[in-house]
Amino acid sequence: MGADEPSKSFPLKVGVAFAAFFLATTAGMTALSLGGGPAFLRPAVRQPIAFNHLKHVKDLDLACNTCHVTVETETFSGLPAVEICAGCHAEPQGTSAEEKRLVKMIQDQTPLAWVSLFRQPPHVFYSHRRHVVVAKIPCAECHGGIADSTSPPLRVRKLEMKDCLACHERKKVSTDCTACHR
Amino acid sequence: MARWGMVIDLDRCTACQACVVACQVENNVAPSNAGQAEAGRAISWLRLVPIQGERRGTRPDLQLIPLPCMHCSHPPCIKVCPVQATKIDHEGLVSQVYSRCIGCRYCTTACPYTVRHFNWKKPEWPAPMEETLSPDVSVRPRGVVEKCSFCHHRLQRAKDKAQAEGRPLKEGDYLPACAESCPAEAIVFGDLDDPRSAVVRLSQSPRAFKLLEELGTEPKVTYLSKGEWGGQV
Ligand code: HEC
Ligand code: HEC
Ligand code: HEC
Ligand code: HEC
Ligand code: HEC
Repeated sequence: MGADEPSKSFPLKVGVAFAAFFLATTAGMTALSLGGGPAFLRPAVRQPIAFNHLKHVKDLDLACNTCHVTVETETFSGLPAVEICAGCHAEPQGTSAEEKRLVKMIQDQTPLAWVSLFRQPPHVFYSHRRHVVVAKIPCAECHGGIADSTSPPLRVRKLEMKDCLACHERKKVSTDCTACHR
Repeated sequence: MARWGMVIDLDRCTACQACVVACQVENNVAPSNAGQAEAGRAISWLRLVPIQGERRGTRPDLQLIPLPCMHCSHPPCIKVCPVQATKIDHEGLVSQVYSRCIGCRYCTTACPYTVRHFNWKKPEWPAPMEETLSPDVSVRPRGVVEKCSFCHHRLQRAKDKAQAEGRPLKEGDYLPACAESCPAEAIVFGDLDDPRSAVVRLSQSPRAFKLLEELGTEPKVTYLSKGEWGGQV
């Protein structure tokens, strides 16, 4: 390997890098929507169990606050502790491999370390009870079709400030920085 | 809509500094060392500032006054901010959005009360203090300006609680940490647009005055004193 070889390919690499950056940013600018930018720029997540919302919410008709226990009473809604799943899954309910894994986790009392997808930065104040109970906004308006999905989203999603502001302007709610920032 | 204001009774104040400590803990203000203090880079959202007055009987001629942000109705700081990181909201609070601030420090210069502070370095807490930080107040990074917010995160919580209980906000639901902590009850806080509030009653007292009133900043912090301090900071 010659010492000057890397510098020969340098302009090409820079060119490729710039092209990639340009594509990424323009794609980002056009594809910005609920979800926090283009999917490939968002961090990937792996949940401890491939949870199936549709099965529990539609087939079993469970209310959201069975698992997201504080959604109507606190600012945060919470992700379910293993004890909540254990209420039904201490005994196998079906035959799926994923459920077998869950039953094993329940027996071993392994905590379920769910990754939160919609997490806001620490400088933002947001309250679920305010939006869900007081303003009566359906979950799907902010969270999209997650309750109708059969497996967890693969990437972090986020509401952006413009999503919050668009609705606040529409509903004549405060858009003062002090309402949301802290 | 409310207009938040504060009254500080200097005749009650014993200069114990409980408010200063309460403020620092409440708002995740990192402690400064002697070197920073000497360089004028110590951060404190609420300080006790010595003001020279006249001697009257046994009364000392030096008065220590608690000095938070005045939350002026005509804040000089917001006029000079080139990026609108500091604004006055509909309830009269002068806000600072740290993620918007570019650290130009025009506002620290413009503020006649010298209550705005620039973060010259990353905040650091001695162990295990960083584990006790409040999640309700964001930790400011190096390179941005910060100041007293009248603990507006407490207003966010108070409104959220009142709405969830289906009732309007009532007097005392929202108090900044300094007002809550004052053992002499020298710091009173409330709605200046509510004629029944204690702040309105007290600010009509003949003892009432404001700091540097002649500048036309219209502070929403009123001081009470029998002495003649004239507001020379
Ligand atoms: C049986 C329990 C259960 C029920 C019932 C349930 N969920 Fe979930 N939910 C979970 C689990 C487990 C996760 C974490 C794994 C994942 O992201 O899918 C989750 C994640 C979510 C998330 C992503 C939050 C984040 O930031 O990670 C949203 C949004 C959500 N659920 C909405 C709903 C809504 C809306 C309903 C009611 C229609 C509902 N859930 C009912 C168990 C439940
Ligand atoms: C009210 C009872 C109940 C609760 C609570 C509950 N489940 Fe289930 N779950 C069921 C039933 C019933 C099935 C259906 C089994 C089948 O048809 O295969 C199921 C199926 C499953 C399956 C396999 C089916 C699939 O399509 O993937 C997984 C995995 C699962 N649940 C995970 C969870 C987790 C994780 C929790 C806790 C957050 C939880 N469940 C809470 C009743 C419950
Ligand atoms: C107005 C928009 C909005 C609505 C409506 C809404 N959410 Fe959320 N949700 C958010 C935001 C924003 C976050 C991130 C909160 C944070 O980071 O503090 C979030 C986070 C979550 C989380 C993650 C865990 C946690 O503790 O916060 C869950 C679970 C969740 N929401 C469930 C629900 C359910 C169930 C409903 C309906 C009953 C609902 N949300 C309605 C905006 C909304
Ligand atoms: C779909 C509409 C909608 C969206 C999206 C939405 N909000 Fe709201 N928000 C409301 C409504 C309506 C209210 C007023 C509730 C009430 O009547 O008290 C409100 C109230 C608030 C308040 C209290 C305001 C006050 O004056 O006390 C805060 C804080 C807030 N929202 C933050 C957020 C944040 C942060 C987001 C984005 C992550 C967001 N909201 C997204 C509709 C929305
Ligand atoms: C209705 C709620 C809401 C209001 C009102 C609001 N913001 Fe935000 N803001 C958010 C949320 C949520 C985020 C985080 C999500 C994002 O980055 O888009 C955010 C992020 C930001 C960021 C980006 C921070 C970063 O790290 O990228 C800046 C800067 C900002 N806000 C400034 C302001 C200013 C200045 C105002 C007042 C004029 C304001 N915001 C009013 C909700 C709000």
